[in-house]
This record gives sequence, C-alpha cells and structure tokens, in this order.
Amino acid sequence: MTKRRQVVFTLVRGAVAILIALLVATVLIFVSADGAGFSEKLAATGEALRQMLAGPLFRLSKTGASFDLKRLTDIFAAMIPIIFTGLSVCIMFSANQFNLGAEGGIMLGAFVTAMIAIYVPMAAGLHPVAAVLIGSLSVAVMMLLPALLKTRLGVSEMVCSLMLNYIVMYLIKFLLNTYLADKTKGQIQSYEFLKTSLIAPMIDTGAKLSWGFLVALAAVVLCGLFMYRTRWGYAIRMIGINQAFSRYSGMKVSLVIVMSQVVGGFLAGMGGGIEMLGRYNTFSWSSLPGYGWTGITIAILAGNNCYAVPLAAFFMAYLSKGCDLMATYAKVPSQLIDIIQGVIFLFFAAEQFLSHYRQKLVVKSAQEELARKKLENADKKEGGAANA
Amino acid sequence: MLNFLKLLLTPEFFFSILRISAPILFATLGAIIVEKAGFCNIGLEGIMMFSALAGSMVSYYTGSWLLGLLGALLMGTLLGFVMGFFAFQLKTDITLVGIAVNMMGSGGTLFLCKVITNLTEGKAMASTTGLITSGLCIPNITIPLISKIPFLGGVLSGHSLLTYLAFLICGLTSVILYKTSLGLNIRAVGENPNAASSVGVSVLKIKYVAIMYSGLMAGFGGAFMSMSYAQGWSQDMVAGRGFIALAAQAMGSGECLGGMLSSLVFGFAQALGIKFSAIGLDSNLASPIPYAVTIIGLVIFALSRRSRDKKQRLTAKK
Repeated sequence: MTKRRQVVFTLVRGAVAILIALLVATVLIFVSADGAGFSEKLAATGEALRQMLAGPLFRLSKTGASFDLKRLTDIFAAMIPIIFTGLSVCIMFSANQFNLGAEGGIMLGAFVTAMIAIYVPMAAGLHPVAAVLIGSLSVAVMMLLPALLKTRLGVSEMVCSLMLNYIVMYLIKFLLNTYLADKTKGQIQSYEFLKTSLIAPMIDTGAKLSWGFLVALAAVVLCGLFMYRTRWGYAIRMIGINQAFSRYSGMKVSLVIVMSQVVGGFLAGMGGGIEMLGRYNTFSWSSLPGYGWTGITIAILAGNNCYAVPLAAFFMAYLSKGCDLMATYAKVPSQLIDIIQGVIFLFFAAEQFLSHYRQKLVVKSAQEELARKKLENADKKEGGAANA
Repeated sequence: MLNFLKLLLTPEFFFSILRISAPILFATLGAIIVEKAGFCNIGLEGIMMFSALAGSMVSYYTGSWLLGLLGALLMGTLLGFVMGFFAFQLKTDITLVGIAVNMMGSGGTLFLCKVITNLTEGKAMASTTGLITSGLCIPNITIPLISKIPFLGGVLSGHSLLTYLAFLICGLTSVILYKTSLGLNIRAVGENPNAASSVGVSVLKIKYVAIMYSGLMAGFGGAFMSMSYAQGWSQDMVAGRGFIALAAQAMGSGECLGGMLSSLVFGFAQALGIKFSAIGLDSNLASPIPYAVTIIGLVIFALSRRSRDKKQRLTAKK
C-alpha cells in the first residue's frame, strides 16, 4: 500500500471511530434530554450537541457564536497534565508493559512537589524546577517496584501498578489529613505554597494557562527524540514488538523494561508537579484525578507515537470541556465523557475495524503496481524492438 | 494485643471474612475461567460496576430483588459478549478492551445513574442508596441446624444467599472445568488453540463461552456489592475488587480451590483492616491493607514458584 493511502486509511478510520462515538453520545443525550415530546427532546439534544461540539471554542447564544479566547486557553491548560500522562503511557506501552500506574504517579508527583513548594524555601527561579524534579524522581522510584517485580519475579506489572495506585492515594490522604492539613480551613487542604514556587501564567485570560504548557510541548519533542533517535528508544520499541528476538539479539531486555517504566513514572510525576504549581496554590486532591486513565486513551489515539500526543490531548481536552459545558447549559451529566472516551478507545484499538476497506485499498494498490510494471515491460519491449 | 486477639476470635469476625470474600471469589472465578481459555479479562472491575448498577436499578423499578439479580447477571453476561466481540471479531487487544470497560465502568455508571434516576448534577456523589430498602436486597438465609451450633453457627449461618452461592459456584466451576466436555474444550483452547481446532472444536465459540461466563461471574459479584454488601449502588463502590481478583487468580495458580483460598486471604486482610480502624487506626491507613496484601501475596507466590521450579530442575538433573 502506498504511503498516501496508508495515511488516508488511518484518517478515515479515526474519523469513523469518532463518528460512531458521537452517534452513541447523541443517543444517550437524547435519552437523557429534558422535554415532553419527541420534537422537544430533539431540540434539547441539538442544543446539547451544539454546546459540546462548538462550545469549547465559541460562546454560543441564540443569535450566533463568538470566538472565546478564555475557553481556548482553558483547553490548553487542561492539556498540560494529560500530555505528560499520555507520553508516560506511550513509552511504557511501547515496551509492551501494561503499567497502569500513571494515575497514582501523577498524584504522588503532585503531592511531593507540593510538599517541597510548601516546606523547603528556595530562590524564585530554582524553586519550581527543583520541586517538580524531586516530585518526578519520587514517582520514578515508585515505578521501580512494579518494574523490578516484573523483571525479577514475573509478577504482573498491571495488577501491581493498579494496587499501588490505591495505596498511594490512601497514604497521601492519611498524611494530608493527620499531619499536613491547614486546620484553619473548612475543607481538607495543605498550607499555601510559597510564592517563589509558583509557575507563572503565560497569558492573563483567567484560564490559569501556565508556562508549564511550553514545558509539556518540549517534553513531547524530547520524548519523540528519545524514542526515535536514540538506541534506548529503539530498544524499547523493539522489545515491544518482539521480546524474544530482542533478547536473542543481545539487548538487555530486563534493564530496558525497567527503564521504560522509570521514565514513564518520571513523566507522570512531572505532569503532576507542573499541574500543581501552575494551577493551584494548595494541595487538596482527595482522590485519584483520572489523568492517568485519560493518558491511556491518548496513547491509544496517538498509536503510541509521542509526536501525536499533543493532538490527541487537544482532542480529549476539547471533548472534556465540551462535556462540562453541556452539563452546565443542557443538564446532561458530564460523565458522558467517560462513555465517549471508552467507545473511541475501543474502535481505535480494534485492529480489524474497517479491515475490509483496508483490504480493498491494498488490492487496489497492488493492481496499480502490476499495471504499471506491465506498462514498463511493454515499453522496454517496444524499445528493444526498435533498436533491433 | 491480647485484647485485640480476643476481638478477632469472635464469630462475627469470621463471618465478616466470608462476607467480604464472596464478591472477590465471584470475580476470581471469572478470572480463572478465561485464564483457562488462554487470556486475561481485566475488565472484571468495570463489569462489576455496571452489574451493580443494573441490579440496584432493576430491583428498584420492579420491586423485586430476584429480578434485580437477574438484571445484574444479564448485564454481566452481555458485557462479556461485547468484550468478546471486540476482542475476537475486531481483534482488539483484550487488555485494552478491559481497560476501556473499566473506564466506562467508573464514570459511565455515574452518568447512567444520574440519567435514569434524575438525581441532580449538584450532588457530587450520586448513589442509589436512598432508593433501596432492605426488602430490595438479596435475603439472608439462616441454616436450620447449623445456626444452633455455638461458634460455628455464628460464622456459617445468616449469610446472604449470594455468599453461599459463591462457594457453591466455586465447586461447580471446578466440576465444569474438569468433569465436562465443555471444560475440556476450554482448557484445550487455552493450552493449544490450533490442536483444539484440528479436532473440531470451535475455538471462537469456546472463547465466547469463557468470556461470557466470566461476565456472568462478575455480574454475581456486582449484584453482591450493590444488593447485599451495601444497600444500593454508589460511585466506585467495587473499589478494585476486580483487580484483586486477578491477583487471587494468579496466586491460586489458576485453580478454583486455590482461587478460593486466596480470596479468603484477601477477605481476611480487609476484615482485619476494618477491625484495626474499629480500634482507632486511621481509616486511610487501614483501607490500603488489602491492596498491599495483594502485592505481598503476589511476591510470595512468585518466590515460592521460583524455588519450586529450581527444585524440579535439580531433581531433573539427577
């Protein structure tokens, strides 16, 4: 199949998957919409869909729509943590390691970073950098547990990382509730971060879009270079494709598997830290934030390709913002996002989805190739005849 | 310490172990049957969430716990079928299908709950606990003779119908796997699908049967959670039991009896955690105990398997 056809196929396939998900969403919105009769419900569904699909960028009124910069920057801000978890999952899944610890990782990273931001005074420029790095390192260390248990003892990294998520969450809640909470406040939250530690906002639209966004984009490029331009990245991808072969060809498989998860943990922790210092001024998460699961969806949408992560993250942030707006203006519960996400996820991951269409494209390409060869041969023969 | 032991050695404590183990055991059976068929169903957690919601919804709207239970079982089996469709027909990686089901299970159930019951968006934690009365829960059964036995009666009698079913179905699953042709086919497909298909077994059909059975078991587990363990459904109520079941399956080396014992170990860990928090341990320290025990259990299991393999290799050399 030609490269152009491959691209076309991938795009069509993705579009169809998204369309199916939106169709499912429409049916669900219709069922849940307010209204007495069929036509009333239909109108409510239309309004809800309009909010969900156009709302993230445009302020909608009865008469028309106007572009809203605040909402666009909202989306960019929401992309920051999920770009990091998306990259983290990309790298771990590339090595065929189904480590689902990005969820606990981002919470631990956020927590450790917040602690440094509160209790360790430092100079203004250095503080956020050091805090985020220490947060990231702590998650990298956490990921050593599932990684080493996998390579040393063959314990499923998936089950282990899932259990770790719960343990991390409860321990953080324990520490926060008993030792670190600011008792003067009504809700459970830590003391305020020191002013020196905060990451400044990029533009002032009230969206809390911090400079962390640029760090996230830089991380995308670095991860892309790491995965496609270094021998470590090559080893990770090779092990994901064929572990036995990689071992046979002399790669240090165990070491690379451990490394992929440590790097993944580092990235997840970094996402948590930057999210904390860029958006909040106290730590008050009392449950897992869900960014880890979104990261898995992003990795699947991006096909484990780091460079496609920002696009997928934009898409997910857009949808999520749309669902929030829909919940506000059209009274459809915002958790619809989880169903849409799940459906898109399933169809993107389905290898045989639209395989008939792909088959047709392959056949077509092959036939064209044959026809061209025939033509070339005929030309040669003619040329030969003329010479003789 | 002695006082604490006294607190533990009561019929109520052992009763609670059995009660807590039951949903884990159901899910473990669901994990075992697909393991025998050669794959891993990590969607158990999500299926349990959906079934728990279905059970509590159906029982509320029909006014019958039996119909509610059937609704939960139907939901579980149906989700098993859908997972099978994506995994076997559309060739999606079964792990990813499971992740997708879990994703939908946590937020999607809340969505459905809000839509069906019209509970307002304002409530952050929607649940059906307000709707369900004890009459809509699965009844507890007092066993006539055994309940009279001093200590044992308190441990064994008075459980929910589903707790007894869990242990009965555990035996039944073992019989299905080892004494019926269906079980033989399932194991054959898991061991070597090509060999199985060469003697005329429909691999696809057997895989479907296995994953739907797995869904059915998760359906039982979900029904137990919302109709017996708690009164009504609430968000994230399954709380990782589907994942713990995967660990229980591995620790029980994929056999029903072993799976049952490991489920009991987890039940013990959780019951212990509850007791600890009763005597004043912070609940945030008591809650992670079952999850930590899962990891420790997996490590111990892996270590013992490794030393056993070593011994076998040594004896083989001699």
